[in-house]
Amino acid sequence: MAESGEALGTVPEHERILQEIESTDTACVGPTLRSVYDGQPNAHKKFMEKLDACIRNHDKEIEKMCNFHHQGFVDAITELLKVRADAEKLKVQVTDTNRRFQDAGKEVIEQTEDIIRCRIQQRNITTVVEKLQLCLPVLEMYSKLKEQMSMQRYYSALKTMEQLENVYFPRVSQYRFCQLMMDTLPKLREDIKDISMSDLKDFLESIRKHSDKIGETAMKQAQQQKSFSIAVQKQTNMRFGKNMHVNNDRTLEEKSDIILKHTLEEEAENDEEVLTVQDLVDFSPVYRCSHIYSALGDEETFENYYRKQRKKQARLVLQPQSSVHETVDGYRRYFTQIVGFFVVEDHILHVTQGLVTRAYTDELWNMALSKIIAVLRAHSSYCTDPDLVLELKNLIVIFADTLQGYGFSVNRLFDLLFEIRDQYNETLLKKWAGIFRDIFEEDNYSPIPIGSEEEYKMVISKFPFQDPDLEKQSFPKKFPMSQSVPLIYIQVKEFIYASLKFSESLHRSSTEIDDMLRKSTNLLLTRILSSCLLNLIRKPHIGLTELVQIIINTTHLEQACKYLEDFITNITNISQETVHTTRLYGLSTFKDARHAAEGEIYTKLNQKIDEFVQLADYDWTMAESDGRASGYLMDLINFLRSIFQVFTHLPGKVAQTACMSACQHLSTSLMQMLLDSELKQISMGAVQQFNLDVIQCELFASSEPVPGFQGDTLQLAFIDLRQLLDLFMVWDWSTYLADYGQPASKYLRVNPHAALTLLEKMKDTSKKNNIFAQFRKNDRDRQKLIETVVKQLRGLVTGMSQHM
Amino acid sequence: MAKQYDVLFRLLLIGDSGVGKTCLLCRFTDNEFHSSHISTIGVDFKMKTIEVDGIKVRIQIWDTAGQERYQTITKQYYRRAQGIFLVYDISSERSYQHIMKWVSDVDEYAPEGVQKILIGNKADEEQKRQVGREQGQQLAKEYGMDFYETSACTNLNIKESFTRLTELVLQAHRKELDGLRTCASNELALAELEEDEGKTEGPANSSKTCWC
Repeated sequence: MAESGEALGTVPEHERILQEIESTDTACVGPTLRSVYDGQPNAHKKFMEKLDACIRNHDKEIEKMCNFHHQGFVDAITELLKVRADAEKLKVQVTDTNRRFQDAGKEVIEQTEDIIRCRIQQRNITTVVEKLQLCLPVLEMYSKLKEQMSMQRYYSALKTMEQLENVYFPRVSQYRFCQLMMDTLPKLREDIKDISMSDLKDFLESIRKHSDKIGETAMKQAQQQKSFSIAVQKQTNMRFGKNMHVNNDRTLEEKSDIILKHTLEEEAENDEEVLTVQDLVDFSPVYRCSHIYSALGDEETFENYYRKQRKKQARLVLQPQSSVHETVDGYRRYFTQIVGFFVVEDHILHVTQGLVTRAYTDELWNMALSKIIAVLRAHSSYCTDPDLVLELKNLIVIFADTLQGYGFSVNRLFDLLFEIRDQYNETLLKKWAGIFRDIFEEDNYSPIPIGSEEEYKMVISKFPFQDPDLEKQSFPKKFPMSQSVPLIYIQVKEFIYASLKFSESLHRSSTEIDDMLRKSTNLLLTRILSSCLLNLIRKPHIGLTELVQIIINTTHLEQACKYLEDFITNITNISQETVHTTRLYGLSTFKDARHAAEGEIYTKLNQKIDEFVQLADYDWTMAESDGRASGYLMDLINFLRSIFQVFTHLPGKVAQTACMSACQHLSTSLMQMLLDSELKQISMGAVQQFNLDVIQCELFASSEPVPGFQGDTLQLAFIDLRQLLDLFMVWDWSTYLADYGQPASKYLRVNPHAALTLLEKMKDTSKKNNIFAQFRKNDRDRQKLIETVVKQLRGLVTGMSQHM
Repeated sequence: MAKQYDVLFRLLLIGDSGVGKTCLLCRFTDNEFHSSHISTIGVDFKMKTIEVDGIKVRIQIWDTAGQERYQTITKQYYRRAQGIFLVYDISSERSYQHIMKWVSDVDEYAPEGVQKILIGNKADEEQKRQVGREQGQQLAKEYGMDFYETSACTNLNIKESFTRLTELVLQAHRKELDGLRTCASNELALAELEEDEGKTEGPANSSKTCWC
């Protein structure tokens, strides 16, 4: 059963295998066959048996089929044998035909070959044309690029390069020439960069050269605009002005019309010449360079270079020449260059995109402004000519207005102008100091003589002198003041005008200007004029004549100060009702000068007295007086009398004080002479002679050499001397000693010390005559009395010392 | 009081207004020149000590106003004068002709033996000269005076003319002073005189316009 089971199982397997072999491709039969050998050990033997059986079956079937179709096969063969003969005939015919075709077709074949060659050529030509059509645009563009480069149209060249790279080159990149072209582009770009930069440098040089012209033009335009505005404004003010006198109104209106007319004419003339910055400088290099660098994607390099170079140029422009302060032209060149620089920057700011920014220009301007202010502050300090300072101020105003018009901030410049104004006023003060000195130098210190009505009006027109009495006098007559007075007055007004000039265009209110003018004028009066007057008064060689006239002059100048205040009020056009915060202090100047002159008169008069006193030639031991006053003293008295006769026009108080001062000084000098410690002996005769001289002094004092003294006021100057001399000449010692200290004493003003000093000099004299005295009782008694009085006087002196 | 001099002389300057009397005086006493056109009014004076023939002379020099209206005042000083300068301006014929009037005043008001000297001032104004040197010389001769042309501006003949007049006055008072000569020699202050003489002369500014 086991074998039977095993055999039954193997048969279906082998049949399946045979089916697979018949249905499967030969390529896959391997695995199938291998499955046969992988099975039972004798499987393939049995498989072979099955296979042989299958083969025999198939052979049988084949035989059956052959038998069935045998007759048909035979018929067919018979048919074929018939066809064979026909075929042989046909073969001969075809061969012959073919030969005839071959012979006939030889020409055709030849022509066909020609046609083939032609078609090949045509194809080649077509291919070449196609290739060339791809290449030609590239060559054209490259040629165009070259042309653009040679024509310096670099931006277009850059665009062309871009097209070549992005559009044309990719189409023909396989060709060698194309590679060569591509290799040249970077160099061309660098060339364009370099050339553009070179153009920019030329441009920068150009604008540096033309800065002067650009700035000059801009400043002129700003100035014309301002002149026009001022003229129109004046016209308007005139229409609505108040407090205008008919004559003044007409005159000022005519002037205003003239100014306006001239301004319009100038405007018309200059219209033809008005130049803009574009007319002076070719800006295209900047535009081109900007575009080029932008196209090259290198804007930053361009911007940095441009800004760096312009900053350098700015520093150059801002560095003035060392001699700039000497002339106004130096300043003008300085300013025009700066204006030119910033006008260019402003233009570029507006016509380019980002090359310069407002922040950049403002930064540059602030740097420049600090430098400008430092330069002006330093250099203007060298200016000693007020006209130059004034022109400088005008230049600065035009400069500031010009740049303000371009949007730059100029407040700091106006602040600087106030500093310069102070300096301007300082230079004015110096200038006017010189003017005043010259006036005083040229004055003849005599009242101004007037010979006719015309001359009178001439002086009146210059100086506000009012005196009805003088006006009624007939010619010839004299003004009390000397010629320096109207000249000083005129020059003070000129100073005010000059000071005012600086304030024009500084955008200050009338009240402010008025205040400033008063301060300036106060400085002129209290510092400059005062100093000039004091220097004049203290000149070593100034005479009494000049001093007297100066006193009169200062009186009249003082009275004229109120007219100066009116003058300032008028020229600043402020309301009469405005309360001035600043008043003119000139009054004190003239009072001080007058006091100084008066003091100097007293001093000089006393010096003259001293010179006379030095000529005193007393014989202090003379036995008797010669009965006449000393010559030197008579000369002195005559001199004083002459002086006060001549100075009739000296103000009363001054004359009185001078006379009193002279008498007191003379009295003091005589007293000191008498009490001089070097004078050892005085005789009674000498005392008598001295007394004669004092009497002459008293006569002078009582003769009223100067009007206005009350009673014996002037003689009081000699009272000390008088009482001392009386005491000695009357020898009234008992009365003196008895009444000493009493208010009603006859010798109240005799100083015990003086009495003692003088008495001791006389005692010494008496001693000298002792030999003779021995023989005269009177002399001996006198000597005893002297000794007694000396002792008592010493007691008084000692008592005084203890009391003090 | 110790005197610094031996004798005192009083000299007087007279002449028309503007001839340069005050400038002459300033040049002599202070060696200074001021181109001033200030007129003297009334009388003024200056002092100076000089040495003449070994005698120290203190001279007081009166400067008078030349204007007519001050003549009453100035005449008072003629009486006390010991020496008188009569001054005219070489560029002013008129001032030269007026010397006659001034001489007449001297004869009338001055002491009998007063010494006189004729001065033609502003000698530096050659371009404007109106009075020849010979004319001045001739006039002086007629009046028996010494004659000098001077210039206060250029310091010409200033010291010479003042010294000369002092000498003349000194000679006139010779007898009174003979006794002083011996004493003066002993008291001579040489250092002081040397110091005085060593004083620098002011520069002569010929280009400067002179007013006197």
